[in-house]
Formats: sequence, C-alpha cells, structure tokens
Amino acid sequence: MKRRSSGVFFVLAGIVSCAVGLANSGSDDERRSKPYPEDIPAARRVIDPYPALNGIAVDPQNDVVIASDPNRKSLLFYKRSRSAMENAQSRPVRQIIGPATYIGMVASVVVDSQRREIFTANNDIEDTVVVMPYSAKGNASPMRVLSVPHQAWGLALGKSSDELAVTAEIFNAVVFYRREAQGVEAPLRVIRGPKTRLADPHGIYWDDVNAEIGVANHGNFRGVIHNNGGGCAPGPAKSYPATSETAKSESNKSEAAEEGGEFRPPSIAIFSANAKDDQAPLRTIEGDATRLDWPMGIAEDSAHNTIVVSDNGDNSILIFDRQRGGNVAPVRIIRGERTGISRPMGLAVDAKNGEIWISNYGDHTALAFDSAANGNIAPKRILRSAPAGTPTPGFGNPMALAYDSKRSQILVPN
Amino acid sequence: MPQRVITGQGSKLGRTIHGLAYDAVHDEIIVPNALADAILVFRGSANGDEPPIRVIQGPWTRLVTPHSVSIDPEHGEILVASLTGKRINVYRWDANGNAAPLRVISGPQTQLGHLVGIAVDPVQNLMAVANSEDILIFNRTDNGDVAPRTRIAGPKTGITDEPWQMQFYKGKIYLAASNHLHVNLYSGVTLKESSKAVPDDPWLNPTLGFVGIWNITDNGDVPPRAMIRGPFSGLLHPVGLALNPEDGEIYVSDSVRNGILSFLVPDLLESKDQNSSSDHKE
Repeated sequence: MKRRSSGVFFVLAGIVSCAVGLANSGSDDERRSKPYPEDIPAARRVIDPYPALNGIAVDPQNDVVIASDPNRKSLLFYKRSRSAMENAQSRPVRQIIGPATYIGMVASVVVDSQRREIFTANNDIEDTVVVMPYSAKGNASPMRVLSVPHQAWGLALGKSSDELAVTAEIFNAVVFYRREAQGVEAPLRVIRGPKTRLADPHGIYWDDVNAEIGVANHGNFRGVIHNNGGGCAPGPAKSYPATSETAKSESNKSEAAEEGGEFRPPSIAIFSANAKDDQAPLRTIEGDATRLDWPMGIAEDSAHNTIVVSDNGDNSILIFDRQRGGNVAPVRIIRGERTGISRPMGLAVDAKNGEIWISNYGDHTALAFDSAANGNIAPKRILRSAPAGTPTPGFGNPMALAYDSKRSQILVPN
Repeated sequence: MPQRVITGQGSKLGRTIHGLAYDAVHDEIIVPNALADAILVFRGSANGDEPPIRVIQGPWTRLVTPHSVSIDPEHGEILVASLTGKRINVYRWDANGNAAPLRVISGPQTQLGHLVGIAVDPVQNLMAVANSEDILIFNRTDNGDVAPRTRIAGPKTGITDEPWQMQFYKGKIYLAASNHLHVNLYSGVTLKESSKAVPDDPWLNPTLGFVGIWNITDNGDVPPRAMIRGPFSGLLHPVGLALNPEDGEIYVSDSVRNGILSFLVPDLLESKDQNSSSDHKE
C-alpha cells in the first residue's frame, strides 16, 4: 500500500459490497448492534474531537469570554480573567451544544452585556442568527432565531439605533435588523452596491461614539451585481460571446466587461452608522501598505482611537489609526513567534481592561494581549480548547475533496 | 495536521470552496472561487500563500458562482457547474484569463437547477451533474439549450435534496448524497414573500445522507447499485467525495462531522456490476 495522507488511523472492521435497497431504515434497524452490509465503518477518520474557536466576544462587566465553535457546533463560556493552567485544556464555565440549539457552522459572536444575550451567525448553510441567554447550557433552545441571507459571517450591535448588523459574504452586503428581530423578518436597511466597495465582507464593528460602522473585506467580487443588483442572477446573455467560437466575432467586450468577477484588494470600509443602499464609505483602508491579508474579525478601540483587525493570512493583529483612510500602514502590528497567533479569526476589544482578544483557528487557543501591545510580544493570557500541542486539521465545513494520486494526498478545501 | 496548506490573499482563494479537482496529467489543482466568479489553477505541489498559475475570470468566461469543477484529462477540458447560474461551462484545460468557454449547456430544456457536483466519463463520452434533487446525464459534447439524455431521480434513488460532489470511475457514478434540507428564505438579500417561518436546521434532516453508486447508463427512479450508509459508517450528511482506486479507498467529507472519513472498499471500485448484469431502467 502507498503512503497514507495525514489522519487518525484505526483498525479496519469490515468490507462488504452488495446491492442494496432503501427500505430497511426503520427505528428497529437503528438499534441493531451489527451493521447492515452497506453500513461500512470508516477505516480512518480525520476529525478534530475538540472545539475549534472561530468567533470571540468579551464581556468585562460579567467577566466572561464567549467563543463560537463550528467544529463541535457549540458556544463556549470561559472566565475572562482565568488563563490556561500551563498546557492544560481550559475548562469552560458553560457550553451550549446539541440539536436544539440551532448552532451549526457558526462564525461571529457578539454579546449584549446589558441584557446578557449572545448573538451568533450560522454561516453556511443554516442562514440564521441564533440568540442565546447567558444562562443557557447544554442542549438549550435559543431565545430567538432569525433567518438571514446566505453566508452571514460578521455581526455587530448598534446601541444607539438598537439594530443588529449582519455581513453577507456572497452578496457583498451589510443587512440591518431590529435588535430583537426573530423568525422571518425583513431587514430594516441594506448597504449594497458598487459604490459601497463591499467585496466578500467578513468582520464588522459598530462604533456608537463616532456613529460609524467598519467592515473587513476579502476582495472577492461578483460582477453581476454591477448591473442588475440581483445577487445570484446572471447578467443578460446577450452581453457575452456564447463560446470561444463566437467570441472571435464579438465586438461588445466593453459592455460585457462590467459583468465579470474581480479580485479587489482586501480593505476596511468605514461607513456612516446610518448608511444604506449604494452609499459610498466615508473612507477605506486599502493598499499594499496596509498589510491586510484575509482580514477577519475587527473592532474599534476607543481608548487608543484605533481599529484592530485579525489578519488571518499573515498571522497577525493589525492596528490602524481610526481616522485615517487610503493606503496607510498600521500604527502597530502584533506579529511573530512569541505571539502565538495562528490563523486568527475572531477579535474583540475589552476597553475596560485594556485587552485585545483573538481566537486562533490554527491551534485551539484564544489569546489576550495588552491593547497597547506592539511587535513580537507574548499574550497576557491563553485559553485552550484542547491541550497544548494538539494538532488541528483546520477544517471549516469541507464540502469537496480531491485525491492527488501523484503525492498520495487528500486535498481538502475549506 | 495537514501536510501543506494553500492559503492567504495571494492564493486568490475564497473561503467558500464547494468544488475541487486534481489533474493528474498536468499535475495541477483546480479550484473554483464562487465569490469572484473565477476558476483558479495551482501547481500540484502548491503550498502557502502561493498564487495560481492560471485564473479563468472575466465577462467572456460566462462564469456565475462556479461551485463545482471536474477535469477530463482524455480531452483536455475543465468542466464547471454553476450553482446559481444554472449552467455547465467547458474550457480548455489550459484556459487562462478572460477566456470564453468551449461549450455552455444552459437554458430551460436542460433542467439545470442547483448544481454542486459534476463529473465526466471521457470513455463513454458522458457527463453527469448533481442537480437540485437528481442526477442529470448529458452527452459530453452537448452544447446550448439541450435536454439531458437521462435523469436518475425519484424515491428509490434515496436522493432528497442537494446531492453534492460526484466522481466517475469505470462507467459508474459515485455520489455524496448529502440529504440535508436547505431552504433559502431570501432572494439575494431580499426576503421572499413566500417565506413564513424559520426552517429546521438543514443538518437535522432525519433522512440521513449516503454514498450512492449508479451505472452511468441508469435512468429513472433507480436505487443505487451499492451504498455506504448507516450508523456504523459515521456518515450523517456527506458532501465531498474522492476516489483512490489504486488503494481501494473512497474518501468522504461530512459537514456535520466537519471531517473526512476513509472507506476501504476495493469491491466498490471494481468494474463488475454491483447488482446485476443489466442496466436499470425506469
């Protein structure tokens, strides 16, 4: 046999091949202790048994850190002021997990510390925002479930307008709801359109003091939105050469040019808090000097008048002057071997205690840094969802596979 | 831990990847970026923040949310299924930039809907797609608004909703039949008038998914000729599927497990018929 790909190995239990029907799937069958012929155990599995920390929120008033976990499909509560005991797994105060919770491929999490409520966005394919009370534990039903557009990722709460903002990746949009919206409820407003410069938006923050909203964009842009605003609807076929044969005689390339997809630079777009429709941002942080590389979580730090970004592609935290736009360099960068930053996703700022929190998707940790930190500096505290050194495959809903027969490797997208 | 990771802004990858193919002839990896209407082609040994060696993107490509890809090494073609574009685009394997497709299957006759899986049989000159609730089979060289030559659909198939990735091997279709129940209440960011209640979590559909195998020549409401499913299999709602015939393995990813399961099933990868010597007909 050839060399295996990375994975967890266990003993092969049986192989059976035969034709099967679909009739034998009743409840009695499920209680069988011996498998049916087609019920073939996997010879190997690559599955992470530990929570993978994705979104993160901090509530200094109640001394908790809350993380979303798309691997085990859960929300975890940790004591904010507690750090992992050396290399051991941190014990969460509570975990919300189970089929009643509606928690699936969860991304961002935000908290309303006054009302002691947790909001988390199910990204793909649940298309919901789930609201849980702080008191929830185990297989708890949500307080509210709100249907939202496909591929919701970022969440932010606007205290002054009492709204919930949700980013929708594929639609290049920010969608706003009443804070208490639930069930099937139309958005109050939407920021969307070519002037907005939104392109595959992820993290979002709401700055109530300065009445601004900031959105982290990955830059993937679907051109069809230019023309018809119809989201997934393709543009008019007449604008295109049908195939390579007809392309040779087409003369309408300039007209069609508005329809193609684009790779735009990653950016931070800052809008007025009451922006809507195809409204341009107040300013945009974009360009090579910014070092933006798959910006994920984002927050505003009022104590330092900065915008703080978890930079997934560069294993760093970037800190920008809040008032500047354009191709500006970060005023500080937390990056390097001592930081322990590994594929950071969520980010939250604790203004009360002067801390920046990030969740690492690369190694089962959440890290707290001094909010004035700069350079290659160790975190103040570490929370671990698995013992130190536990490997993670880093899967995030792997929905396709390929086999590289030359290298005997399984290729897995996220 | 993965042996290598292609990642970062320089890779031009999106973080929503629903299709993947490996071209063993040219040692290349083909990945759709649905959120940028693009097809990315990487070196087979790509690693880190490495850019693709080719990018198919632009108005002439007619790409609309490309979700699934397949490679036809025999004829040197990349096939792309567009989830919401309801179309199949075919490109030369070395297409680059704003390249028009060689062929496009789209239109009302095609019955194409929610497309996530695609596979090609270069020997029998057939092509199959995992459609909204069925498998549609076309001639490999079909072009334009053409009806599928056959359709595998119905209660006996066990497919209920959004069949996902598929592969061809020796005249057989291997399908990850997810059987999750995805109900989209929005059209873009606009709530549909018909939307009345939040649907159940799509992954809690009690009708579990399975790996199903059909002959490429099957047609109609035909049960799979072989399956992998059930509590011992560990499969809940499988979505990704890849074949390693040399080692007799089928690899399956499962969204609920958030992981990969490897089934050692050489019998299921043999060319002999798993059920009977005759083809199933409706």
